[in-house]
Amino acid sequence: MVSMKRVAAVAAMSVLGLSACSGTDSAGSSAVPGAASGGGGDVLASAPVATAADILPGSTMEKIKKRGELIVGGSLDAPLLSQQNPATGEVEGFDADLGKALATYIIGKPKVKIVNSASETREALLSNGTVDVVFQTYTITPERAKQVAFAGPYYSSGLTIAVKKGTTGISSPQDLNGKTVIAGANTPAIPEIQKLAPQAKIITFGGDPECVQALKQDRGVAYVQDETLLVADAKKDPSIQVVGSPFTTDPYGIGLPHGDDQFKKFVNDWLTKIQSQGVWQKIWQNSLGTVVQGAAPTPPAIGSVPGS
Amino acid sequence: MSPILDHLPEFWQGLLVTLELTAASFAGAVVVGLAITAMRVGPVPVLRAIGTGYVETFQNLPLLVLLVLAVFGLPEIGIKAGLLATSMVVIALYEGAYIAEALRSGVNAIAKGQGEAARALGLTFGQSLRHVVLPQALRTVVQPIGNIFIALTMNTSLVAAVGVVDLTAAANRVNLVEAQPIPIFVGAGLAYAAVAAVAGLVTGRLERRLAVAR
Repeated sequence: MVSMKRVAAVAAMSVLGLSACSGTDSAGSSAVPGAASGGGGDVLASAPVATAADILPGSTMEKIKKRGELIVGGSLDAPLLSQQNPATGEVEGFDADLGKALATYIIGKPKVKIVNSASETREALLSNGTVDVVFQTYTITPERAKQVAFAGPYYSSGLTIAVKKGTTGISSPQDLNGKTVIAGANTPAIPEIQKLAPQAKIITFGGDPECVQALKQDRGVAYVQDETLLVADAKKDPSIQVVGSPFTTDPYGIGLPHGDDQFKKFVNDWLTKIQSQGVWQKIWQNSLGTVVQGAAPTPPAIGSVPGS
Repeated sequence: MSPILDHLPEFWQGLLVTLELTAASFAGAVVVGLAITAMRVGPVPVLRAIGTGYVETFQNLPLLVLLVLAVFGLPEIGIKAGLLATSMVVIALYEGAYIAEALRSGVNAIAKGQGEAARALGLTFGQSLRHVVLPQALRTVVQPIGNIFIALTMNTSLVAAVGVVDLTAAANRVNLVEAQPIPIFVGAGLAYAAVAAVAGLVTGRLERRLAVAR
């Protein structure tokens, strides 16, 4: 009889799981900020296109242009940055739109194929030529710069802390000592927590939705993640709140194959162009700007970080 | 090799969790497997149906789905245990279905006359199972059960997805700092291979020692 109950429990769980999924899906269209704006097309129409002289013969750019498609390593599940819209199949967000703008620059139209990459596979995908570039909140570090090249930084973000509403006594990373802290698997949050709160017990989950669920189910008292993601989470879900301000600076770079200096210079020139023409700022407004208060921030200076 | 040598304590801690998880889940899986086999070869039709249903359910659902459902779904209906404990129970229930199938094939390998003789001697169903059928059945399935043990060891790596810091999760974390995936994951792979090799040696010896002379 015990096993009957188990079977019943499994059945109940799967029903729960299904209803939970459909619940988020239907809520998704309205609750995901930025999804309704749909202004990506207008921005891309005004995005710059490279002159024929910029596409050097025999270069990576020429290869991409001939192929007619830019292959981007990125995420499909990062809200506001690079998330696939289940209704249209389009990938939307800051990183995704920048990828489309780069494709426009090289090819003349925003033709992008996103290869779903992960933090364990990005270096390999770039070095074996599976993807042309990586737009995936790719923090520039000197260790990574030994294996790939970074254009940019194109954005600067930082880690911050989210807690369940009503939690007291946590306002800085040092307060996490001796507590159980949730972090995304393979995110820079893990070494940062280990450094600033060595006595914290860190548990990790694969994606942002699992981490939020775990926080709500009291698997840990705090969730450390990139500020933009946490702000979006807190906006969607009123039961969690962001405390304090970012305690790290994470410069995001555009991952490129190691040693292709021609291509790196080309991408850096493009970044300078879209920043001076206001395209970068408009893309920010359409994505991250829908949850972060104020005007678009000043983009970080290109090449300002060790490794870029 | 230095990315591994510099982080030996993390790897060691992860390996301990993996071994703990493997041992506890295997023990649980054996108990579940024995109970399900007893139900499946027993005379009560309802129990047989439940046993079959159990095996079909757990063999046909991916372990990762079960883990995610148990870790995130059960708290929604008020059942909440630690991550490691939840993972142990889920792996035990899942692998129990495979052990039950291996045991059932062992039971089927025993000549019908054995069970009939046991009944003719006046043993009850439980007694004949315990004293006559299962001891012989277990001896014939040492190797398949050893294989299930090895598969279980490898399957424990899925708990990294639900927040348990096992060997795989530890390797992931070290890689995050070092960005040297090849030596780090080859190192973790060798540790899994070592566990599997020990299991293979032990089952080989056990099989030779327990073989029934026929």
